Order: sequence, then C-alpha cells, then structure tokens
Amino acid sequence: MPDICANGSRFHVQWLGPKAGARVPTVVFVHGLVIDNLSSFYYTLAGPVVSAGARAVLYDLRGHGKSCRPLHGYTAQEGVTDLCALLDALNLTEPVYLVGNSYGGLIATRLAISAPERVAGLVLIEAICAGPRATAWIEDMVNTMTVGALSLEYEGTAGRYRDAGLRKIAKLATTADALLNGTSLIDDLATEQLLDAAELAALGCPVLGIYGAQSELLDGADDLRRHVRDCRVEVLDGMAHTVLRDASQEVRDIVMGWLPLVMTAGDAR
Amino acid sequence: MSSVLDEIVGILADVLGAEFLMDTQITADTSFSDDLALESIEFVKFSERLQEHYGERVNLVALIGGMDINSIVGITVGQVVGYVEAQLAASA
Repeated sequence: MPDICANGSRFHVQWLGPKAGARVPTVVFVHGLVIDNLSSFYYTLAGPVVSAGARAVLYDLRGHGKSCRPLHGYTAQEGVTDLCALLDALNLTEPVYLVGNSYGGLIATRLAISAPERVAGLVLIEAICAGPRATAWIEDMVNTMTVGALSLEYEGTAGRYRDAGLRKIAKLATTADALLNGTSLIDDLATEQLLDAAELAALGCPVLGIYGAQSELLDGADDLRRHVRDCRVEVLDGMAHTVLRDASQEVRDIVMGWLPLVMTAGDAR
Repeated sequence: MSSVLDEIVGILADVLGAEFLMDTQITADTSFSDDLALESIEFVKFSERLQEHYGERVNLVALIGGMDINSIVGITVGQVVGYVEAQLAASA
C-alpha cells in the first residue's frame, strides 16, 4: 500500500487482509514511542487477526518507523487527530477495533472516548491513561528521553556504534536521535493531558487489558477493573512492561481468545 | 545463483539502498539481522516489496506467523528464497 497523507503528514501504512469494501471487521494497531514502530504488531498479532478473517491495518505514528517526521504534533491528542484522519483517508467508516501498546494505548483510549462511534472494541497492552501512576510514568519517560537525547547528541552514540560495526543499533540510535533532538516529542510529552477516572468510566466499548505482573504500569489494570464497565484484564506472571515482545505467544493467545468473541457479539448488535 | 535469489537481492537493494549492498556479498546463508543489519521495519518494507513483485501468493506474514521473535530475527536469505520458490512452484 502506498503511503497515506493525513492531517498534513505522510504515514507508512500496512494493510493486510480483505480490501476496503469487504464487510469484515477491521483491527487497527497503534504502537508505542521512539524505538517502537508498526513492526512490533506486524510480527505478532497482525497475522493471527487476518487468519481469523478480519483485516489488519498497521501504521507508523508520526516521526516513527517509515512515516514522515514533522517538527511538531506529538501529543496524544494530535495522535488521535492523525488516527481519525487516517481512518477517513482509508475510507474506514465502520467502527474499528483498536489495539494499542504502551503510549499507543493512550491514543487508542482517547479516540474511544472522544469518538465512540468509531471504535467497536479496545485492546490495551501495557497502557495506563489516568491517575498519579500515569502522571509518574509520563514524567519518567520525559526524564529518560531527555537524558537519552543529550547522550545521543553530545556523545555521538550512533557514530560510536557504527564505528564498532554495530550497524543495526547504530541505525536505531540515529532514528532515536532524529526524533528526540529534531522534534517537539519530549516537550509535547511533558505537557501531556492525562485522563481522569470519569473519562475512563465513559468508555462504552468492550475493553481487554493485558499487563505484566512486574510492570510499573500495573495500576492501569486496576483502573480498568474499577472504572470500565465491560472489561477483561489479564496479568502475565513474571512479565514487565515489554509483554508484547517478551510474551508474544501468550499475548496472541489472549487477544485471539477475546477478539473474535467480541466481534461476533458486535455483529449481533 | 538462482534467479529468485537475484531478484531478492534486487529487492533488498531497493529497500536498503544499492550503496549499502556494494560491500556485502549476499548468499543463501546471509542473515537479514546479523549480516544485513536489517531493522524490523525494513523487513516489513522488504515483505511488502516481495509481495508487490510476486503477488499475493508470496506472503511473509504467513511464513513468519508461526515463528517466535528469535526465529524471525534469525531468518536467512536462503529461507526466503526457498519459500518463494515453493510458492511459485505451487501456483505454477
């Protein structure tokens, strides 16, 4: 699929499964920040979703992967605007199922709250959207990224990896350098407006949450149980924040055990 | 060298840049990750270009669907050549 222009930027999109117009459910994947891109879903959940008869739509967030890297527009709210514009550009007018990993889950949740008519269901993998733990997580990310940005800029990290023959890590460092030092991502993240419990409680679609038992974001699981009416939460023993990468088979089994049932119920409605 | 290997080298040059491949001898044993330092997102683009070239019958998502992440990272050019040749033969 050619790249898609939406909300004034160019996005790398992978469309797998039935073409537009075929009446099958659509699952849209929203990845996490900086070193993440659509490939983390491409290798894990996209294939099983297509095998189950749905279409999978994956895209790189602005500044990430193979999408364009504009200077500004990195708040979660701008991410929602990007996602809505992409759905429009792809002519996906029926409600879609959103799968968000980490920060991608915040974008997905914001869309489900602000435009409930566009979202049929929500899978949140290691995402936290409200409360003091979410605030602390964002602060931690800002601090970590700020230190990383300084290191990348002044210590020539990418060049040192390249000189050492570590080409793959060098490429990752180059990408991170461009994003952290060449855009407003860190500043935008520092001003992030998180949700409150009442907004979470407004989520009307079915929600599946998957968390690592050792994750610093485990409070997000409690938030879902407490505030979201139609939700199921799974906590994976021994796992931390990177469950999608480190427990991809378990995550796949959980998602594919839940999503088809929710899709069938959605059809019945 | 098989013609499919030739074609796959051409597709890789398109994804990575011909300049990058000038100092790399690609054989069936060449690993996408260790030898070519292909980033995961570049492998996605490679997969897309492969399907554009050979059509829907060549679907790397299906090939890697049953693999764990370590196996995916360790894929060699020869494995992809073998998969493509098998798909082409099956649909001939």
